[in-house]
Amino acid sequence: METRISEKTVVVTGATSGIGLAVAEELVRSGASVIGIGRSAERCAAAQAGLHRLNPEPWVAYLTADLSVQGEVRGLGNQVRDLLDTWNRQALDGLVNNAGTFSYWLTLTADGVELQWAVNHLAAFLLTNTLLPMLQAAPLARVVTVSSGSHYNARLDWNDLQLRRHYNGLQAYGNTKLANILFTREMNRRLGEESTVRAFAADPGLVKTDIGMKGTPGIVSWVWKLRRSGGITAAEAARGICYLLTEPSIQDVPSSYWKHGQPKAASHEAQNCLNAARLWKISSQMCGLPVEECYANA
Amino acid sequence: MQTPENRSKCRSRVLISGASGGLGKAFAVECASRGWDLFLTDMNAPALETLAAGLRRSYNVDVITHACDLTDLDARLALFERIRVNSLRFWCLVNVAGIDYEGPFFEQSSQQIRTILRLNIESTLDITHAMLKFRDPCATFRIINVASLAAFYPMPVKATYAASKRFLLDFSLALREEVRSMGATVTVLCPAGMPTTPLCIEAIEAQGWMGHITTMDTGRVADKTLNAALAGRPMVIPGWVNRTLQLLGSIVPARLVAALVGSRWKSAQQKRSLDKQPAMP
Repeated sequence: METRISEKTVVVTGATSGIGLAVAEELVRSGASVIGIGRSAERCAAAQAGLHRLNPEPWVAYLTADLSVQGEVRGLGNQVRDLLDTWNRQALDGLVNNAGTFSYWLTLTADGVELQWAVNHLAAFLLTNTLLPMLQAAPLARVVTVSSGSHYNARLDWNDLQLRRHYNGLQAYGNTKLANILFTREMNRRLGEESTVRAFAADPGLVKTDIGMKGTPGIVSWVWKLRRSGGITAAEAARGICYLLTEPSIQDVPSSYWKHGQPKAASHEAQNCLNAARLWKISSQMCGLPVEECYANA
Repeated sequence: MQTPENRSKCRSRVLISGASGGLGKAFAVECASRGWDLFLTDMNAPALETLAAGLRRSYNVDVITHACDLTDLDARLALFERIRVNSLRFWCLVNVAGIDYEGPFFEQSSQQIRTILRLNIESTLDITHAMLKFRDPCATFRIINVASLAAFYPMPVKATYAASKRFLLDFSLALREEVRSMGATVTVLCPAGMPTTPLCIEAIEAQGWMGHITTMDTGRVADKTLNAALAGRPMVIPGWVNRTLQLLGSIVPARLVAALVGSRWKSAQQKRSLDKQPAMP
């Protein structure tokens, strides 16, 4: 029943830097095959070369896609399937929805969605739904979405989910991280207890990455630089995520929210299953997925 | 029962020009989120299609797109012909399409200057004239023209642009009185810089704290402007700092304002060109 780690294949988004790259490194070191997803072809090639140097044994490939564009996220489905075919693999054993961004100003994507909402939440939602058939083909598969402790202060405004009318970058970030947890909970509920696919939301803690430097004016990136100096390294954060990806014993643990390999209580808002169902419906509509789709019998 | 087809025929729409740019997109999203059917035009055809698909998906509204270069008279006539043939009706028009090539007047090409005038003035007036014919007879016709805070002062380095926006400001206020009896209203929007593109964000950053306090998000601006248009208000200046600047601009003599603005922009431009140079070893 168990797949050995060297036979596992995992998709990691935002895998060219920060936590995503560290997760890919950790996986490659243990012999798992990795499909990384990044925005810039250049950085993808550099990351792939680095991973190959680390361990030339497993398959490693990078796909370029701008996750803020829903058409490109949808296109990844076929690209991942093609890769699995060429590697002679039948299934995906894991997906890490790690890609995240921050924006100080309200920015709308090509689809007309607020940038952070599109990348941090909708892209994870859509990519997971797109890759789900491949994940369900594995004996045991995990979907780990990288959330954050910033969700504790967040509260979704159902009349203005993307904060278009009163935008605040940090608040918008917290909302998307709350959405990550609600998505994870609702996914597990829809899949049912018998499912071989299990979703987790991971809190990596405060990590020394460049996320606070994305699309921010001088003073904000300066504050972030100061704040992150007390954080842990990306490699330490990656260990917690790889644990959620590979540890067989946690399959039946009901907790959806984890920090450093330990279950943790998410915020009150994040535990509201009505909110989770509501968000799932709205997200389906925003991504053009059938709204009443349910996986309980899959 | 109403099918999408006959609904799209009987419901009048909102026309937005320059719809795939920063502010135009914000207007399109805001209108769609209020459930209004749209007709979008822009130069950038792929971006327009992506946006329209996103709006249909997220808000379940009917969106017609028409990609064309509004500076071209023939393209405008083709646009009007399409509207006439399909007997579309409109209850709101948002003239967003506008352009600026920043830089001293004499450093701009004559082609650039013509494009500013053609797009900002000629096409806006042409579309407004045509759309008054295609207005929904059963509804109050709302016209929103996007001018700029630059409309209130003579602005060195943006001389043509600022003057073209002044044209739109005065034209809008005058037209408003003319069309009142036709059951139409005109609202003119005078925003400061907005963080719409990486280039705009860079320009805001270059202005320092002044750039930050005058800047407002496109989403909020679109929301406030639509509310103001529905209330029939003549003018929207988003942000109290900007309203104060407008007030000061109306008290201080124009040539003094021009000198002041000129010195500010020159230093901002210098800072930007310094930023672009590679760091000294």
